[in-house]
Amino acid sequence: MKLKFNFISSSALDEKPRSKRLSFILNTVKDGTILVTDGVLKADEEMDLIRETMRRVDDGFPGIEVASLKKPTKGVQSVLEKMTDQKERIQNLISGITGSPFEKSSLRTGITLIGPAKFIKRIKKNPNSFSVLTEV
Amino acid sequence: MPFGKFFDWFYTFFGFRKTVRLGIYGSVNVGKTTLANRISKDWTGEEVGKVSHIPHETRFVQKKEKVMIKQDGKNLTINLLDMPGLATKIDYRSFLKYGFSKRAAKQRAREATDGVIEAIKWLNNVDTVLAVMDATQDPLTQVNITLLGNLEAKDIPVILIANKIDKKRARPDSIREAFPQYPVVEISALKGKNMDELYEAIAKYSRRGR
Repeated sequence: MKLKFNFISSSALDEKPRSKRLSFILNTVKDGTILVTDGVLKADEEMDLIRETMRRVDDGFPGIEVASLKKPTKGVQSVLEKMTDQKERIQNLISGITGSPFEKSSLRTGITLIGPAKFIKRIKKNPNSFSVLTEV
Repeated sequence: MPFGKFFDWFYTFFGFRKTVRLGIYGSVNVGKTTLANRISKDWTGEEVGKVSHIPHETRFVQKKEKVMIKQDGKNLTINLLDMPGLATKIDYRSFLKYGFSKRAAKQRAREATDGVIEAIKWLNNVDTVLAVMDATQDPLTQVNITLLGNLEAKDIPVILIANKIDKKRARPDSIREAFPQYPVVEISALKGKNMDELYEAIAKYSRRGR
């Protein structure tokens, strides 16, 4: 059996609204493809990904394996990142009140690999690298 | 969120303190229920839930309310919330080797996936988290990283629990090295080792509910 990788730029994922982005990722992975991107989902979006994965688990799809490396941020960059998070939280809050879903949230700089758990047997993570063992 | 700290101070100052909703989170089979049982037995004499070597034994949030911890002459009332283990995959076939029928294994897997969803939902309803890790295992897992990232984003105080230090292969230092920015308490929930240190940490780092 063959193993398919899909390398997708973070800007292509950024263009998608949040719910559609998660849907795209899970549809790709459920299809048996390993997805690699030059970005990192925010922690809350990654938790949403886990939750959505659980909703889609079935006999043929036991779930996913994820590994990501985020570029460390320091000083001003770190403060800006936190400010962006706060801004998004406020926008989410307002959209919740008005009923119009705010879904835009950008990926952080880094690298992420998401693949089907039935093919990825193990991910060994280090602070600055990770290795992936697959079995097809 | 800085407002969280302000409100915490405000509510404490004006005496609106309520109980601490203490969530016990972590991956599967790291000893969350053993820890919940230990804390509950220490202070109420009763256990919270059943412990098993079979993964996903805890598939629903188990609660023990109004557990009063006495530390340094002060009382702290906590609602103990033992969460189902977080996971990115649940394969019903993994339960077959424990003697489950195919039907029972699928049922357990279904309940386990619901349990993960429930545990994630509860992240919005906890005041403080004990993030339990198995000190014999590699702590740098995506589940741990995602969990801690979420707690940080929500400004929820977290204490890392390096559990199972009674085992020879335990390397609690690897948890400190992997997550140096968090307080770590090394315990054996099974043997009740270092529990006083844990209660000190809970009293020190907990944020009370509102």
